[in-house]
Amino acid sequence: MAVQLPEMNLVLLSPEILLSLVAMGLLLMSAWSGKESRGLIGTMALSGIVLAAVVLAGLSSATPSATMGGHFIDDRLARAMKWLLLIATALPLLMSREYLNQHGLDSGEYYVLTITSLIGAMAMVSAGSFLLLYLGLELMSLSIYVLAAYQRDQLQSTEAGLKYFILGSLASGILLYGTSLVYGATGTTLFTAVANAIKTAEHVSPVLVLGAVLVIIGISFKVAAAPFHMWAPDVYEGAPTSVTAFIAVMPKVAAFTAFFRVLLEAFSALHVHWAPMLQLLAVLTLAVGSLGAIAQSNIKRLLAYSSIGHVGFLLIGLTTGSQLGHQSVVFYLANYIFMSVGAFCLVLVLNRQGIGDQISDYAGLAKKRPLLAFLMSMFMFSMAGIPPLAGFIAKLYVLMAAVKAGLLTLAVISVIFAAIGAFYYLRIVKIIYFDVAEQPFDMEVSLSHQIVLAISALIVLVVGIFPGKLLDWSLASVQSLL
Amino acid sequence: MLENYFPILLLLAVALATAVVMMAGSFLVGPKRNYAEKVAQYECGFAPLSRVRLPFDVRFYLLSILFVVFDIEAAFLFPWAVAFKDIGLTGLVEMLLFLMVLLVGYAYIWKKGALEWE
Repeated sequence: MAVQLPEMNLVLLSPEILLSLVAMGLLLMSAWSGKESRGLIGTMALSGIVLAAVVLAGLSSATPSATMGGHFIDDRLARAMKWLLLIATALPLLMSREYLNQHGLDSGEYYVLTITSLIGAMAMVSAGSFLLLYLGLELMSLSIYVLAAYQRDQLQSTEAGLKYFILGSLASGILLYGTSLVYGATGTTLFTAVANAIKTAEHVSPVLVLGAVLVIIGISFKVAAAPFHMWAPDVYEGAPTSVTAFIAVMPKVAAFTAFFRVLLEAFSALHVHWAPMLQLLAVLTLAVGSLGAIAQSNIKRLLAYSSIGHVGFLLIGLTTGSQLGHQSVVFYLANYIFMSVGAFCLVLVLNRQGIGDQISDYAGLAKKRPLLAFLMSMFMFSMAGIPPLAGFIAKLYVLMAAVKAGLLTLAVISVIFAAIGAFYYLRIVKIIYFDVAEQPFDMEVSLSHQIVLAISALIVLVVGIFPGKLLDWSLASVQSLL
Repeated sequence: MLENYFPILLLLAVALATAVVMMAGSFLVGPKRNYAEKVAQYECGFAPLSRVRLPFDVRFYLLSILFVVFDIEAAFLFPWAVAFKDIGLTGLVEMLLFLMVLLVGYAYIWKKGALEWE
């Protein structure tokens, strides 16, 4: 008996295949070559990502389709999110080289792990079934656990890695359990088939709802939505700063795409069940994000809470269930990448000459390095949602979507928390501009840091004033949903 | 839907009851004559010579992790071998690709010296 194998259109997988080959090649290179070629490995990793972007651009004319028996989807959403993922990997990679050199962390495995986690994330955003979703999630997470513990001789870093690993594995287990319950209730793992099974069933089985809840909890862990956020501040603080910049943006893009796929493609008929749950999560996340950050003295911890706050806004966009809401999520994610990467890049730059990660270390930055101070204030203003910066438009669209969907209470609550959140962003600006300098600011800003800062600042400014193009792009990417 | 699982529930109940009854029975009915030697850890009749929880070489962990990786590889080979005739050339090529990926990892750990004890 010959088994009918599903058709395989490997062309659609070419960015992932290319990156896998790059990762394997670099792994062998890092084992065989000496110290002198480490810079080369970093360059090759970056070129690999650029090459993958070129391949992805070449795919953009192909008609959106699914392959591998429906497990792998290549649609507008997947392509748009892959662009964001490539950017969210390339920028942190670009700015990490000097940091790694200075801290004696420069080895080929760093780049290999970054690329493997990127492959996992790309598989996640293209997932057409719970199976590929889980596989991608694990590949992404496992690589990131190792990256978080990369500074092996630092207790904080190993603690971060271990904590992330244990809680992340728990989340993966919950997600997998939810998947098995969904499979038990519907008899399939494909998103479209699950959606069909729910529509044709005469009543919603409690097993299915429990499965859906567990899946949502599993993904909520990955985006650090409260009350599943406990790992985030410790991991962000303990991990090497270049890794923190990476894990603050890249997994969020992948996990929110997973939310899109699971909630809108598989569980769209269960909207009445998951929408209140996500709204509750959103309120809790906003509260934790804005209240938790107030007392922080460490900039990395503060940015961790700030990212939790952003996740709260993203969840609101998701819970509206409208096209405007989905558009606002993609738009917010795109802007969040640049705001966050820019802020972390400044933390990296200012961290170089022995000045620590404490916010008080930035006192008087404006007198000595006005440009750096201006950039830091700009990113903080953008995160706080002050016009005319990108963060404002992003928040505005989320709120518009919430109001149009009739979620007025939620919109009001989020504005209140955004106002509270503005306090700690403005506190940093105040310290930079009005406090007296204690440390010298004689660091040099290397070329790669200049590039990353220029790109992030430009996008935050330009998108803030002319958001039209990016908004259209976000809308086009979510049109295949619903 | 859910009633299909009823036999499993029944089996679970019987299994639980059996275990509870047996343990409770031995606990309630069995004679208890405890003295120091009897309740001590059993070590071939000797008095315990050292603590049981010794630290041991971290290299054991490395080896066991590597073992798990390549054991999983073997676990994937079995279903593939069973279905080998049905999936034909495509299956063969796919398995070769899979093994190639693992071979890269194998070459890496070999070169890194993870397989050497000293």
